[in-house]
Amino acid sequence: MPRATAILRHREEVVSGHYLLTLDCPEVAKAAQPGQFVHLRIGDGTDPLLRRPFSILLAQPETGEVQILVRTVGRGTGIIATHDEGVAYDLLGPLGNGWEAPAGGEDVVLVAGGIGVAPLIFFADGLRLMERQPYVRSIFGAANQEALVCWTEFAARCDEFTAVTEDGSAGETGLVTDVLAPELERDRPQHVYACGPDGMLAAVARICRDAGVPCYVSMEQWMGCGVGACLGCAVPASAGGYVRVCADGPVFDATEIDWERMKRR
Amino acid sequence: MTVTCPDLSVEIAGLHLQNPVMSASGTFGYGVEYEPYLDLSQLGAIVTKAVTLEPREGNPQPRVRETPAGMLNAIGLQNPGAEVFIDDKLPALQRFGVPVIVNISGRSVEEFARLAEMLSIDGVDALEVNISCPNVQEEGMTFGVDCDMTGRLTEAVCAATDLPVIVKLSPNVTDITVIARAAEQAGADALSLINTLLGMSIDVERRLPHLGNVTGGLSGPAVRPVAVRMIYEVARAVDLPLIGMGGVMNAGDALELILAGATGVAVGTANFVEPAAMHQVIDGIAAYCRRHDVARIADLVGAVAADQA
Ligand SMILES: Cc1cc2nc3c(=O)[nH]c(=O)nc-3n(C[C@H](O)[C@H](O)[C@H](O)COP(=O)(O)OP(=O)(O)OC[C@H]3O[C@@H](n4cnc5c(N)ncnc54)[C@H](O)[C@@H]3O)c2cc1C
Ligand SMILES: Cc1cc2nc3c(=O)[nH]c(=O)nc-3n(C[C@H](O)[C@H](O)[C@H](O)COP(=O)(O)O)c2cc1C
Ligand code: FES
Repeated sequence: MPRATAILRHREEVVSGHYLLTLDCPEVAKAAQPGQFVHLRIGDGTDPLLRRPFSILLAQPETGEVQILVRTVGRGTGIIATHDEGVAYDLLGPLGNGWEAPAGGEDVVLVAGGIGVAPLIFFADGLRLMERQPYVRSIFGAANQEALVCWTEFAARCDEFTAVTEDGSAGETGLVTDVLAPELERDRPQHVYACGPDGMLAAVARICRDAGVPCYVSMEQWMGCGVGACLGCAVPASAGGYVRVCADGPVFDATEIDWERMKRR
Repeated sequence: MTVTCPDLSVEIAGLHLQNPVMSASGTFGYGVEYEPYLDLSQLGAIVTKAVTLEPREGNPQPRVRETPAGMLNAIGLQNPGAEVFIDDKLPALQRFGVPVIVNISGRSVEEFARLAEMLSIDGVDALEVNISCPNVQEEGMTFGVDCDMTGRLTEAVCAATDLPVIVKLSPNVTDITVIARAAEQAGADALSLINTLLGMSIDVERRLPHLGNVTGGLSGPAVRPVAVRMIYEVARAVDLPLIGMGGVMNAGDALELILAGATGVAVGTANFVEPAAMHQVIDGIAAYCRRHDVARIADLVGAVAADQA
């Protein structure tokens, strides 16, 4: 059953307002695939009411540990920030499809925006363990140096790493797309994998489409159930209609998403 | 006398339910989504997501937003249409051996009648008529806010099917008892209430509505007192069995609706929070009956002593 209790073992504020939680949760640690998420209940009251989705940053089947990175943005994440070690969370997961690993040996580019780095750390970790390791180039963008959360964990798992900040406080100045476009031209990878805000994903999808490189994005949307029942997490599909982030995703082939209709919000 | 094994079964519109607890339409998909989390064969009934004649795409994102002790939704009746529902979704629902109630929605009286006809097949045990949707023939006015429209719609659906017809009332009205009586007079076999309360919330930083559809339906614990009051009023106005819903999170909440006058209780938003919520409600009702020496849950329907308040 995709459901478990997770005990908070360690909470570290990696940068202001960003917490790396290490959870004791053997069931999820065993089953988790990169790109999947957990749907966490915060407390047992009615406010906050709904569960909150968080990507899995790393899962260690040997130790039973699962890590998630939580950025405090509102009521639920604000409460998590106050939790002490030993707190028990009721969670559903691992949920969603996750990224399909490449066959091996190819050239891939990972693009992370802000907190979107979390699932890509897990994905990069998996690539490193493959028999025929792909060559992994990664681009990590954020507003400023501080927002390049867990960049060392990310960089350590990649062959090449480029940081980009909007204010130039670290790495290149600009947006990830300013680096991605020339990178694809310099040396065309077989696949691009991306996670970050919608606007970034739309731009990455466009660049990849123009360059003819398959791109797989992990998306976010407000959720109700997290298990495919309520149709609350819908995003517009290029085939018409909508797909569910929780059950059909969160990872999609970027061509499956209708980025024009997505942009309206 | 000590009750060790209370009788939780109830009769609603000719349906025999092993207990009063069922899913609320739209919150439980087509049942199978929740199979990993609870044993569906233990439920009183399964109520499906709304089915329409033609496939519906649904509303633009975002479609849900949490509010204090509740949530707003504007899903927009996304569903694959009646034909696909019958071929692909209905067969899987038979496996659980509990009554299947299909929630239907339409844009015109004719559409509802056609749907009722199509769904009058083996495997469907009752129809729940969602009258909280706009009637395109009456300038988009919601069926369920008008006695005449509610009456005509109920009559047409009853004429088109031999299945029990449950009319699901909208709370977005001045006097729900008037609409309830119109549905009763037109031949409804049972009523369910309440559907979601129309609401809205705004992202003040971006000065934008949170929902892509601007407005949405409020559900969850926040609406429960409204549900209890409306069930209480309707139970006194009609002679039909009622299915109550609105903010039920646990057995105590379900009992509140039962004491107000509901024979059956549907659980909606709580499924998102706790996928096994319906089991907990069923177990909790049984425990309550043992604790209070109640032999039959049916004896508690409408049993609130309002005159002693
Ligand atoms: C598949 C997926 C993976 C995610 N992974 C991470 C992660 O690894 N780290 C992280 O910090 N955040 C992640 N998020 C976003 C995270 O779920 C929200 O930031 C969080 O739910 C906000 O809750 P809150 O109560 O603090 O905010 P509030 O604004 O108070 O929440 C109100 C409601 O809005 C929802 N909500 C608000 N922002 C978002 C958002 N960006 N995405 C989805 N729902 C939102 C909440 O779930 C809640 O229902 C992920 C979201 C999804 C869909
Ligand atoms: C996401 C969502 C979708 C819903 N879809 C439908 C629907 O298709 N048809 C319908 O009659 N009611 C629908 N409802 C209303 C519920 O069935 C129920 O009447 C309402 O949510 C109150 O119960 P609750 O507070 O337990 O959720 C929906 C509610 C939610 C939250
Ligand atoms: S959150 Fe309910 S379908 Fe995705």
